Parts: sequence; structure tokens; C-alpha cells
Amino acid sequence: MDLLWSNIFRSNNDEESLVGFLERLPVFNELEKRDFKYLENMVHTRTYHAHETIFEKGDPGSGMYIIRSGKVLIFNRNIHDQEQEMAVLGSGELFGETALSSPAPRTFSARTAEATELIGMYRSDLLTTTSKHPAIACRILLGLAKLISDQSQRATIELTALQQRIIKQEQKQQPGTGSSQ
Amino acid sequence: MNISKAHFLLFYLTMTAAIASGLAIFSSATNITMLLQYAASGMFVPLLLALVTSFLLDPVVGSLEKRSIPRTRAIFTVFFCVTTLLFATASWVIPYAQNMWGSLLSDFPRYTEQFLNYVREAQSSWQARLPFLEHYDLSTAAQSNVKQMFSFLLVETPKSAFRLGSLMILVPIFSFFFLRDGNTFMRGLVALAPNRYFEMAHDLSFLISRQMATFVRGRIIEAVIVGAVITVGLHFTDIRYAPLLGLFAGITNLIPYVGPIIGMIPGILIAAVDLGLGGQFWWIVILYILIAQIILDNFILIPVLISRVANLHPLFVILAIVMGGKIYGVLGMIIGVPIASAIKIAFIEVRHYRRAFSLPETGTDRHA
Repeated sequence: MDLLWSNIFRSNNDEESLVGFLERLPVFNELEKRDFKYLENMVHTRTYHAHETIFEKGDPGSGMYIIRSGKVLIFNRNIHDQEQEMAVLGSGELFGETALSSPAPRTFSARTAEATELIGMYRSDLLTTTSKHPAIACRILLGLAKLISDQSQRATIELTALQQRIIKQEQKQQPGTGSSQ
Repeated sequence: MNISKAHFLLFYLTMTAAIASGLAIFSSATNITMLLQYAASGMFVPLLLALVTSFLLDPVVGSLEKRSIPRTRAIFTVFFCVTTLLFATASWVIPYAQNMWGSLLSDFPRYTEQFLNYVREAQSSWQARLPFLEHYDLSTAAQSNVKQMFSFLLVETPKSAFRLGSLMILVPIFSFFFLRDGNTFMRGLVALAPNRYFEMAHDLSFLISRQMATFVRGRIIEAVIVGAVITVGLHFTDIRYAPLLGLFAGITNLIPYVGPIIGMIPGILIAAVDLGLGGQFWWIVILYILIAQIILDNFILIPVLISRVANLHPLFVILAIVMGGKIYGVLGMIIGVPIASAIKIAFIEVRHYRRAFSLPETGTDRHA
């Protein structure tokens, strides 16, 4: 009897945790509580085996992926077709977000390192949302814009630091070369 | 190696069993497909009409949904409005249309008689000029054709009215579910794609369905406007059956190239019989050809409503009409071309997509 009741009132655990998972992501900070019900139907959950290619560099990019569980290897190939590992991403991290707002070929390759569950969010769904639920699309895009601007700011800071270092090295080298002449 | 009798028997038995089971599977498979075909035979037209209806109503539902009305409720609201509108027009139009239909049936022999007269005259003039055509009797063939058509009209009209009744139940139900769950169906279908191709499949399905919706909507609106303009234009003359002729012209306008010509035949025929070859006749000819087709359709409606890419080559149009007619008769002729255009749209989108990313051939020489 107890089992029966628990069966009837069993809420779908898997789906509930999907909403919960999405709510915890910083990208979707701007979204309101009831937006997540919509977001849940907007994203696509895909399961991957270990060592499965998600996309290759140069593939048409049309969306971003959020890692729900598992690990994803981000890499590039050099001239000799050797793989150069760029990053290993884990649960809660996302990649490919630049393709969400503008169609462009992928600039790196991604492959799963272990059995992985990914949540895909695609430009076409976002476009549909902008026409049907502009408010929700606005909040999603705001979060994305924040994420991307954070990234570009961090990149700028790193770039200036590197530039400074190069200038310092050059200055260090120049007195040496000057004295030898 | 020695093959004993037992081995041979075993081999023989296995082969027999294999062949028998193969035959059984084959026959049951054909049976099942035939059964499916039989079961689905009446469903094609309502499904197609429901699809077109849902394409037409989707923007209205979407605009309601934008005002944060739940989708199901928005669909119900739209359906209610459409039903009331249809009932209002029907109660206004039906007595008028019935009257017209009755008089058209009594007038029909007169028009065909005149038409046969024209054919006979034309034939005698041909035969005077080209004596070797003497044995070719066009007028008898035309006569039997016309008789067949008349009897077909008499028999099929009540039948099609009956079919219309079942359509009026099925189409709203189907289109309701298409409107409500169409996206879910598409999602489920696309989700079947393997991981590596899912992104592309998802993107393409979005692009194709968007293009298809614009195309279907454009075609229907174009047909409605052409039909309305012809009805209004015919009202300026003394011609009878102007609304019926406008309706016919609108429906046949769905078929490119060939449709408009078929659509203007009854109008010009009735004008020639009833009004003679006077000023009104030429006004009707001008209305059909110049105003409706060249100015309105070619210069205004097609560039505005339908993107040029969906224009089929005339050869494919003829093929689609002939093949559609083979499969589904007159209805097949009307829907054959839009289906061919839909296939073409899908092809064009796939090609665009591949060109935009110059893919997937680059996979092999990515390190070049």
C-alpha cells in the first residue's frame, strides 16, 4: 500500500533535478523561477559515451553545451595533426557559447573523456524564444552577455599582462645587446 | 572430411527452415504494409489539410501566446473565433450558393453544347486546311469527355459533400494537436539523430520548417487574394456565377504555370456563351490574364509573399501534376506541386547550410 502511494505521488525525479541543475548555473542567474519550466523544454539533453566526438573544429556551430555530468576534453590540432589539449571541463561548466549568438564554424574540437551527459542549447530555439517569449529570451541573453563579457575582460587583462612581460623581456635584452656593440 | 547422411539431413532441414521463415516474413511484411496502406488511405487528405491549417493559424496562436496566454488556451481561443467566423459566413453564403449551384447544373448542358459547337467549328476548319486529319474526330471525343465530366459532377458532388462532413470533424482535431504538440513531435524526431549529427539535424529542421511555413502561408494568401480580386472584377460585368468562378480561379492558382490557365477556362467560356464577344468579354479576358495573373500575381504577390527560391522549374511542375494526378486524382494535381516545392525547399536549405560552413567535406583536410 505504501509503495502504491509513493508511486502515485512520485514526482519525476530526473526532470526535477534538471530544473534544479539549471537553476544552480550562474548563466541563468537572471531567470525567474517560473522561466525554468520553459527552459527545461527548450534545452536538449544528450548522453554521450566515453571518447565520443561532440564536435570537430570547423563544424557548423549552432549552440552551446552545458556539462551535467562527466568530463569533456577541449583540444586543438596542430600542423602535424597532433592533438593539443586546451582544457578539461567538468560538471556545471559550459563550452561553445560563442556560437549561440552568431553562426560560425567551431574554433576547437571537443570530445568526451568519460560517459557524459550534456545539455545542448541551440540558436534556433533561442530565436523561437525571442519571438514567442521575448522576456525569457532577454534574461537568457543577459546572462550570456555577462558571461562573455567576463571572459573577454579576463582575456584582456591576461593579454595586457603578457604584453607587459614581453616589453620587460625586450628591455632586459636590449641593454645586453647594446653593450656588446 | 566425411559428410555423413546426418550432416546432409541437418543441412537440408536448416536450409528449408530458413527459406520457409524467409517466405513467411516476406509475405507477412507485404501483408502488413498493405494493411497499413489500407488503414491510412483515407487519412492523407485530412492530415495534409490539418497541416496547412496549423501552418496558417500558427502565427495567430503565437501572437496570443506572446501576451502570456498559455498555448492550449490560445489555440482554443483561435479555434473558437475561426469557428464562429466560419459559421457566420456559412449561414450567410449557403442559401445563395445552393441557389447558384442549382441554376449552374441546369445551365451546364447549355455551356457544354456551346463549347462543343466551338470545337466542331474548329474541327471543320482544320479539316478543310489539313485534309489528312479527316479521320480524327475531335468533336465526338470532346462530347464523350464533357458527358463524363457532367455525370462525374452530378455523382461526386453529394459524395464530396459527405466527405467534407468527415473532414470537418477530423481536420480541426488534427490541426489542434499539430498546433499544440507539433514542436514536441519534431523534437522527438530530431532527437533520434546520432549525437554527431544532432546539432546539424536540429538546425536544419528549424530552417526547413520555417521556410515551409512561410511558403505554405504565402501560397494560401496568394490564392485567396487572386480569387477575391477575380470575384470583385467579375462583379463589374453581367456575368453569372462570379463567386464560383473566383473560387475556382483561386483554388487552381495554387498550381503554378498550368493552374491559372485552367482557372480562366470556365470564366471565359461562360462569358463567351452568355455575353457574346463584346466589350465585357474582353474585359473579362483582360481581368483574368493581365490584372489577376500578370500585374497582381507576378509583380506584387509572388515577390512579396513567396521567396523566389521556391519557384520550381516548369518541367518539375508538369511532372508533379501528372504524378499527383496518378496517385490522388484532381486533388493530387493540386497538392502535387506544393509537395514538390516543399521537397525543393528542403534541398535548398541543406545546400545553403553546407555552403555557409563549407562542410563536411573539410573533415579530411582540416590540417591542410
